[in-house]
Amino acid sequence: MNITWKFKLVAAAAALAVTAGAQAQQEIRIGVIYPLTGSLASSGAEMRDALEFAADIVNNGLKGVPELPFSAGGGLSGLKGAKIKLVFADHQGNPQVGASEAERLITQEHVVALMGAYNSNVTQTASQVAERDKIPFLNAESSSPTLTQRHFKYFFRTTPDDALFVRNAFDFMKDIEQTRHIKIGSVATLAENTLFGDQAAKLQQQYAAAQGFNMVKQVSYPAKTTQLTSEVQTLKAANPTVLLQSSYSEAILSMKTYKELGYLPDMLIANDAGFADTEFIKTLGKDAEYVISREVWALDIGDKKPIIKKVDDLFKARYKIDFTGNSARSFTGLLVLADAINRAGSTDPEAIRKALIATNIPSSALIMPWKGVKFDETGQNTQGAGILVQVRDGKYSTVWPFDLASKDVVWPMPKWDARK
Amino acid sequence: MTAELLLQTLASGVLIGLIYALVAIGLTMIFGVMDIVNFAHGEFLMLGMYSSFWLFALFALDPMVTLPLTVLMLFAFGVLLYKLVIKRIIDAPPLSQIFTTFGLMLLFRGLAQFFWKPDYRTIENSFVSGSVHLANFQLGRPQVVAGAGAIIVTAVVWFFLHRTKLGSALEATASDKEAARLMGIDSHKMFGLAWGIGAACAGAAGALLSTFFPIFPEVGANFILIAFVVVNLGGFGSVAGAFWAGILVGVIEVMGGLLLGPQYKMAIVLTLFLAVLMFRPQGLMGKAQ
Amino acid sequence: MKRSPILLVAAAVVALVLPFVVKDAYWVNLAVLALMAAQIGAAWNLVGGYAGQASLGHAAFYGIGAYTSTLLLINFGWNPWLGMLAGGLVAAILSAVFGWSCFRLKGHYFTMATIAVAEIVQIVFTNWEYAGSAVGLSIPMDSQGLRAMVFSDKVSYYWLALALLALTLLATWLVERSFLGFYFRAIKDEPDAARSIGIDIARYKQVALCLSAFFTAIGGSLYAQKELYIDPGSVLSTALSIKMALVSILGGVGTLFGPVIGSVVLTVIEELSRSSFGGTGRGTDTVVYAALIVIVAVFYPSGIVGWFKERTARRQARRDGATAEEARAAAQATSALAAPAHESTGASL
Repeated sequence: MNITWKFKLVAAAAALAVTAGAQAQQEIRIGVIYPLTGSLASSGAEMRDALEFAADIVNNGLKGVPELPFSAGGGLSGLKGAKIKLVFADHQGNPQVGASEAERLITQEHVVALMGAYNSNVTQTASQVAERDKIPFLNAESSSPTLTQRHFKYFFRTTPDDALFVRNAFDFMKDIEQTRHIKIGSVATLAENTLFGDQAAKLQQQYAAAQGFNMVKQVSYPAKTTQLTSEVQTLKAANPTVLLQSSYSEAILSMKTYKELGYLPDMLIANDAGFADTEFIKTLGKDAEYVISREVWALDIGDKKPIIKKVDDLFKARYKIDFTGNSARSFTGLLVLADAINRAGSTDPEAIRKALIATNIPSSALIMPWKGVKFDETGQNTQGAGILVQVRDGKYSTVWPFDLASKDVVWPMPKWDARK
Repeated sequence: MTAELLLQTLASGVLIGLIYALVAIGLTMIFGVMDIVNFAHGEFLMLGMYSSFWLFALFALDPMVTLPLTVLMLFAFGVLLYKLVIKRIIDAPPLSQIFTTFGLMLLFRGLAQFFWKPDYRTIENSFVSGSVHLANFQLGRPQVVAGAGAIIVTAVVWFFLHRTKLGSALEATASDKEAARLMGIDSHKMFGLAWGIGAACAGAAGALLSTFFPIFPEVGANFILIAFVVVNLGGFGSVAGAFWAGILVGVIEVMGGLLLGPQYKMAIVLTLFLAVLMFRPQGLMGKAQ
Repeated sequence: MKRSPILLVAAAVVALVLPFVVKDAYWVNLAVLALMAAQIGAAWNLVGGYAGQASLGHAAFYGIGAYTSTLLLINFGWNPWLGMLAGGLVAAILSAVFGWSCFRLKGHYFTMATIAVAEIVQIVFTNWEYAGSAVGLSIPMDSQGLRAMVFSDKVSYYWLALALLALTLLATWLVERSFLGFYFRAIKDEPDAARSIGIDIARYKQVALCLSAFFTAIGGSLYAQKELYIDPGSVLSTALSIKMALVSILGGVGTLFGPVIGSVVLTVIEELSRSSFGGTGRGTDTVVYAALIVIVAVFYPSGIVGWFKERTARRQARRDGATAEEARAAAQATSALAAPAHESTGASL
């Protein structure tokens, strides 16, 4: 009887020691600030799902994709298998709220790094807080060039910025002029009157001038508008060959207005955002065909880069939708951050920062059409790249760069009455 | 800038203006009868849009077919809202009333997002989709139908107010609450009726809009400022004023945007609005002060 | 209206001691947000509460203050303290235009006109290249410290915000006790009587507005120096105008500490609901916040301070032997928010 009693005690102590040991495993807390309510909430939800997917891969592995970093699972090996825990916060599209939430995540939730915030103006203030508190901030989706012009030490951006994307559009137009032996001549811009649209329009004006295109009109509209009649009529009057458009929620409304008022330029090159949203093709159906958008990612690149297809299939199996440019970038961002923390071997923000600076991820480990991930002194990833897609048969098909293209560009867009 | 372009833009302006008018009529009625500024009015529009959407998505019924049902549901909702909340703030200070309706605005938006998610919805291929070709004009068919619908609903409301006993009672309450009560008209019933009709008009506007405008929880925000401008411009409490002011605002917005730049279209509307108030502080058709 | 000196001293002590007791940057930041909201609420209160001119366009002044000091800093190297003062003066001067367009209007027309003016200002700034248009303006973090009005810690902002609030409240208190206060109250409660004894209503409405604009603009500059980034959406929106008024309404318009109480309550509710429910993305926090606004607006129309006063007056009356009915009537008479002589705005359907 004595023996069994002692035996039970030892067994209990051993069990306790094992569980205590398991709990001694660290938790790597990463704060994420996204628009989870408000007009951009559906994008916020998509990106959130992507991050949770990525965190799950790091913690629990992913079968069948050995070339993806961390697909073996088991947490971060450099920190003895510590698991990633994401702490989400909603910035509601408000820069001050974004800053408060950043503060809260850092001081209350004790996160070791921050990610976010999609909206460039919120990323501006939230990363400001991170810089002041000396916490690394990894921005995976905001493309405003001003974010990396601040010479912050703790700010890192994996996505290319709008300057690169606008340059893509113009390089594409030059390529089309050469290969199709046409002259484009006149362009115009239609942009929503926000940080995103304004900056894009300015960049487009600069590149147009530099590359010899005639910018015949720059139309700007207030973001929460009830109709786009004046805008479309103005474009009709200006009659550009190519229209460069930057719109979020008005992407669908603008296409409908074009059709209703019988307007269509030779080509519409959109600046992502609303044109890349899952609702765009779904709502417009055939009316969305032939629109070109700059993008950061497309499913058909998976034909040339199998890792993309494999990961997307697994994502789709769980979340019922494919990746989009936004969610693919968020996913990649977390893996880059996890890689840095892993190499740092510690949760000390300074160590993580140094590890981020030393990041050098090859293209083969990414689901993006990039050359890799390597940050310069301003915190910008210099190996990023953009693509252009065209809506064909209800799907986004990569059409540029030509070596990544899955289809030939249809140029010009067939007019409304020539369709059906 | 051809004459044709100008005329077509004018036509578009009138059409969107008719929608503004319909939204504003509901708003002005609530104000006229009980002196309350309803910040949550855009949300009646939003609910009308969602009503059309869900009936379309779940039962494949076109919004034009379900319009009467949407109107009835919004009417009931308006009356219910009156009974549960508004009744309690009838005699509260104006600022408190403003804040109650403001809080309701946030509440309805929050609930819409909570239940229906923030995704943008649209109604594809309603049988009013496509374009209408008149002479050299090309206008969207949904807009034309919406404009016609707005005229019809306005006419019905006007008819109700001026040719029926109940409507006259409503108008009497609007002119002089006390006198009406002395004549045996139950103020509370009238108030409830005003809210119901107000919500119903906005709901009708929502149903008409749903054939061509995206549907999302915050859509009311796009229309509420314009609705207020229209109501003010027409004169608080005047249905006819709201109607004509709505059309005027639609035309000014679209033509102003075309001629002076779309980024300024609201500024143009607002400036002209302030200018009118300078000379006619009671609005175009409001009672003189 | 007797104010309990004990409560005042207690509040002052709490305010002064807080940064020493609370070390957590998050809570200090929250306190700063509450102080800032209280300050602009108090600024609004001068014209909205005391003079009864319910403007819902005050964000125009806030934005003018923020943009003036920021532009002077970025383009001319002006010290932000001077810039803040300059912003206040610019706003006070421009408030003359604001007043001119709006004060001849009555009731809801006035309120709507104020919204219109503020919206126009926002559109102007959104399209003004020099002011950064929609891209906004950033204030560099390089120079920090008192002179630069940029701090890396939150406590310094706390003291700054507290000082500005104290200044605004002091101004309010001085106005309350002076002839200006008397005129404002007259304009609010009995405009016809005021006119008949020779008060120039238009002029004193404008005076109230100038004062209010000055202090609101200063709040705007503080925002710019704290967040280091401004754009039209963050300092000129109508939502912001509404919040400025809401703070006083919740607390009690036309009372000295109403804005402070309202601001504390509002900030706490906002933050608590967002940190508890915000991460889910269902919008639960918005629902909770909105429901609370509706409840307070419906059940406590005189605001928290007003409700408190009514309750005290009611208790006092009961103690003096009045019946429940008489007590309630007496309480309502002391209510700081007696509905002003309501000018009919005409109604004909």
